[in-house]
Amino acid sequence: MSNKPVYDREHHVKKATGIGDPQCFTGEAPAAKFKVGDQLRVRDLPDLFYTRTQTYLRGTACTVSAVVYESPAAEDESWDNTDKVEWFYSLVFKQSDLWPDYPSAFGNDTLETELPERWLESA
Amino acid sequence: MRHLDIVKQFQPSLHTETHAPSPDMVDDDHYRAYTRSSHDLGGEPDIPITWEEKEEEIWEHNTFVTCEVLAWRGVWNAEERRRRQNVDVGQTIYLGLPYYGRWLMTAALILVDKQYVTLSELQDKIHEVRQRYE
Repeated sequence: MSNKPVYDREHHVKKATGIGDPQCFTGEAPAAKFKVGDQLRVRDLPDLFYTRTQTYLRGTACTVSAVVYESPAAEDESWDNTDKVEWFYSLVFKQSDLWPDYPSAFGNDTLETELPERWLESA
Repeated sequence: MRHLDIVKQFQPSLHTETHAPSPDMVDDDHYRAYTRSSHDLGGEPDIPITWEEKEEEIWEHNTFVTCEVLAWRGVWNAEERRRRQNVDVGQTIYLGLPYYGRWLMTAALILVDKQYVTLSELQDKIHEVRQRYE
């Protein structure tokens, strides 16, 4: 018999079965730091090894359009660390803030995406 | 061994000599460029590519199902799969192999990494299957 350490590789799937993911993390995050309408900025954290936070958003101002769900951040979940849960936010950016040569004729265009709280700070 | 002629073409993609540079030859921008993770998040300069509508092939469906089953059995979650098939493969493979080719290779690697099969078992199996077609 193998004497390798035993790891409960199904802990995540057992938690999510019949509930869904990220719904299975509901109620686990600390209180949300931000609310709808808040003006925020995307932090420029290191992107070493893994992230889902787009590089082109770093340092850019945005507005919270919805507080969407609780989940571990991608950086943690990608190594199956699911104990630290945080709020995710849907954020609206002005396209002209993101792309230096965005045509002024489309100055009202926006981009909306979701990020975890750890990537955000008050503007 | 014809593939070695292609391998030698991977290296000079930065168009400067990069073999084992001393630390002062890597400035902050180069460090960040090297360590940035390859991803499907967009926003990076690239050449235009042609959009083609393409039916998925049988092996691609089978690869997708295999990877989903590995998730249901707890071998990985979607985020770990994404990290492994987008980032851990490295930029050369990320851009060089077909989409589901990366999925398939990553599915094999996770089974080795997490000790469900040994690499020697995998080698023997691939060799055995290949011989069926020779």
